[in-house]
Order: sequence, then C-alpha cells, then structure tokens
Amino acid sequence: MLSSLIQNLRKRSRLITFIAVSLLAYIVSRHLDVTGPNLSRGFDNLLVIMAESFPPDFSVLTNRASWSNPPCNFDSDILCSPAAVGLLQTLEIAFLATLFGTIISLPLSSMAAHNLSPLWLSTITRNLLAGLRVLPSLIWALLFVIIVGIGPLAGVLAMTLYTIGYLGKLQYEALEGIRKQPLEAARAMGLSRAVVTRYFAIPEASNSLISQILFMFEYNVRHGSVVGLVGAGGIGWYMQYYISPFKLYDRVLALILVLYVTVTIIDWLSLKIRRRFIESEEVKKPRWRDVMLPQK
Amino acid sequence: MSNSVIKLSDVDIGFLGESPLISIPNFEAFAGEVIGIIGVSGIGKTTLLRTLAGLQQPLNGQISILGKSSFSELVKGSIGYIPQRLGLVHHQTVGYNVLMGALPQATWWQSLFSLPSAEMRLRTREAVDAVGLSDKISDQVSQLSGGQQRRVAVARSLMQKPSILLADECLGELDLATSEIVAEQLLHLAKEHGSCVILVDHSPARMRVLCDRLIELHQGKIREMEPGSISLPLL
Repeated sequence: MLSSLIQNLRKRSRLITFIAVSLLAYIVSRHLDVTGPNLSRGFDNLLVIMAESFPPDFSVLTNRASWSNPPCNFDSDILCSPAAVGLLQTLEIAFLATLFGTIISLPLSSMAAHNLSPLWLSTITRNLLAGLRVLPSLIWALLFVIIVGIGPLAGVLAMTLYTIGYLGKLQYEALEGIRKQPLEAARAMGLSRAVVTRYFAIPEASNSLISQILFMFEYNVRHGSVVGLVGAGGIGWYMQYYISPFKLYDRVLALILVLYVTVTIIDWLSLKIRRRFIESEEVKKPRWRDVMLPQK
Repeated sequence: MSNSVIKLSDVDIGFLGESPLISIPNFEAFAGEVIGIIGVSGIGKTTLLRTLAGLQQPLNGQISILGKSSFSELVKGSIGYIPQRLGLVHHQTVGYNVLMGALPQATWWQSLFSLPSAEMRLRTREAVDAVGLSDKISDQVSQLSGGQQRRVAVARSLMQKPSILLADECLGELDLATSEIVAEQLLHLAKEHGSCVILVDHSPARMRVLCDRLIELHQGKIREMEPGSISLPLL
C-alpha cells in the first residue's frame, strides 16, 4: 500500500516539482511586485526610450566635451569628444587598477596560498581578500566618490580594491596548483619562504598568473564603464551626464556602441594573448562567437 | 672515514597515524661517501630521503645532520635534494634553474633585486658545461628531454655544492653516455668537494660501480651491503 503510494508519487514527481516551482515563482513575484501591469508599463517606457535612441547620435565622437573632467587639453575636437575622453579614461582606469591591483595582490596571494604560507597567515589573508570581494566595484566606487570626490581617481581606487580581492583569489589558486617538487627542492636548500615564492613558485605559475592579469584588465575595462555611472570617471560618467539631466538617449546609445566595439576588440585581443600563455589544450582558439556571446 | 654528516638513532620513518615504513636503530654517513639505497618500489626510499632533507618529520628518534639536531640550525644550502620529478622550474631556462643552486649563498640584496654576481654567472656556465648542456643554456626546461632535464637538476646541485646531496633516481631513464656524465659529476662532488651523496637507484650495475656503501631497505629494516656483493640480473 505504502510502496504503491511512493511509486505513484515518483511517477508524478515531475508534475509535483513543476507545480511547486510555479507556486514559488508566483509568491516571489507578488512579493517583489513583478506584475503584468508593471511589466507592461515598463515595456511602454522601453518603446519610448528606443524611439528616442534611434538613430544613435554619433556627434559624441566629433563634438568637443568642454565639460569633461579632468579638462581635455588637445586642440582636436575628436580627441576631446565625450566618446574619446570617456573611453580613454575607462582604459586608463582599467590599466592603473590592474597594475596597482597586481602589485598588491601578488604578495597577498603568496601569503594566502596554503602551500607557501603557514595556516594562520593564509587564513587571515584569505579572509582579507574575501572581504575585498564582498562589495562589488560599483559600491566601492560610491564610497570613493564620497571620500575623494567625483572623477577618475575614485574609479581607480575602487577598481584597484576590487582587483586585489578578485585577482588575489585567482592567483592564490594558481599558486596552489603548481607542482610541489620545485618547492621541496628549494625548501631542502634551507631557503626562506619569500625566496621560495619569488624564485620557484611565481615563475612556475607564471603562465597562469600572466593570463589572469590580462583577464583582469579585460574585466576592468568592462566594469570601468559601470563605475562611471556613480561619478567615478570613465565613459559611464559621460553616459550618466546624458541620461540624468538631459535624457539624450540617442547619444547614450552612440556611447554604448563605441564601448561595445572597444570591449569586443579588447576581449578578442586578450583571449588571443592569453592563449599564448596557457599550454593547456582546454583553452580553445579565440573565436568571434566566444567574444560576442556572454560568458558562462 | 672523515666527518660524520648524518647520524640516525632509533629513528622510525613513515607517515603520521600509520605504522612506520622503516625503523633504523643506528645509521651514520660520512663526508665524501657515496651511499646507494636500494629496495623494491613502495618500501620507503623516497620517504627516507625526504626525511633526511627535512621535508618530513621522523615518527620517532633522533636525527643529527652536520652535528645539528634541528634543520633550522643548518647553514643554508647544506642539503641538496633532487626529487624523483627533479623539482625544476619548467617555465624558466636551463641557466635560470642552475643559477638557483647559488641562492643559498646569495646576499639579501642579490635575492631581492635578482642580481647574481659575476662569479655566480661564471659558475653557472661551468656547471652547465660540466653536464654537457652548453648549447641549451637559454632553452626553456619544458622543451628539453627527460634525460636533459635530469642533467639540469644535477647541474643545479653542482652549483649548490651541498654538504649532503640526496638524489632520488636521478640516474634513471638516461642513456649510457649521459648516465656516465652525470655519475662522474656526482662522484666529483663527493670526492673533490667532500659532499656525502645518497643515491636512490634501481640499477645494480650502476650501484656497484658508483657507491662506497649500499643500504638495502627490506621489510621495514635497513641492511648494509658491500657494493660488490650485489648480484647483477641476467637480463
């Protein structure tokens, strides 16, 4: 009797799962006010924005941005256009954040790696890196805009902190993945932890480390545009300028297209360079499809 | 014999929480000796070498290395260790790997700024020449054959000139000519520099020629043998 009931339930388990998930989705949607009328209202707004966005206004590539921050000193209007200034700032923020982040995260990741440091030190350092990753770069940017004011400096500081947390984790995992024999040969010589790390562990993991730094730069270019939305410089700041007071969506769309092309080119280049540093067969040859489609 | 460099008293070797792999009531090794360790696979030869290198604690007993009871008291570079898989930095060149043997003698600023002295660079060149890899000094280690990689590991030890060299099967997989070059260098280290060389190897013929003493690990015990008494297989 009981076994036949269980068998019946098993047969209908898919139906029960479907009903349970649907019910949960309904309850959560009600709770968050994700309702049909709201969605339809949003759709109406989307249509308005789309209508105002097309055609994109590429004057953002030619007109001078006299209000740029910091001021642009070139004579050429194109070089001082919102797109050029914003894009250059985004790349500069990403470059500095990746550079500073790498300089700080490399010793931290060595301290966090279990095979290079005592347990107490690796536990403390891992917690520190995890703490830096708790806040997304956007929140760090908000905090630094309050601390140092609107401008690229806030962006550099925010992205640097996030880079330390994120890259530090990738790097200590790479360092932990190296073969133990070079470390043992070095330890038998009586070398200090710092020397073992510097001359044996880091060179042994160098390909992975370089690949991760390139990936981080690519990531920072993408996220460097987001931090601008809260005033931390970069192309996002110029988008925000057009959205917030003026609602010039056609210019915003032009900036988005410029950013899209740039990010796609950087992603492709980064994939190509990173491939040179990774010997594993698992890394596929970079294809446009990989770059265009969102990564899992 | 000259100075005692390794002294073991009532030492049990193995892994924590497990019964000992080998029990050694007494063992002593001297400077300038070449000692061979033989025994079937899994008997504990590598574990013994790792323990002598200070990479693993003995389960019981006293180990004295160069008169010191703690590895931390030893002068840097006193022990050289060539693991079975050689312990080379694969993404670096032959020259880089050999130069690493000079790190124990480097000053703090040479280590910090990666500035080897002219003498270190010259000795690196000599060590690479000694193992017959002069034309490969700038090649990446990962591009070398297994035999060439073994020669790099030996050159690193020649550079280091340790008081005790522990080599785990560093002569395996070598052709006869290369094996002779490497063996000659190990003998040079023992006889000219006065290092105590402890070798793990599976070739009875090589052990007969190379070693002053032979230690066989058998059923958790060590047994000392005369190198001449080792029987050569028919095949």
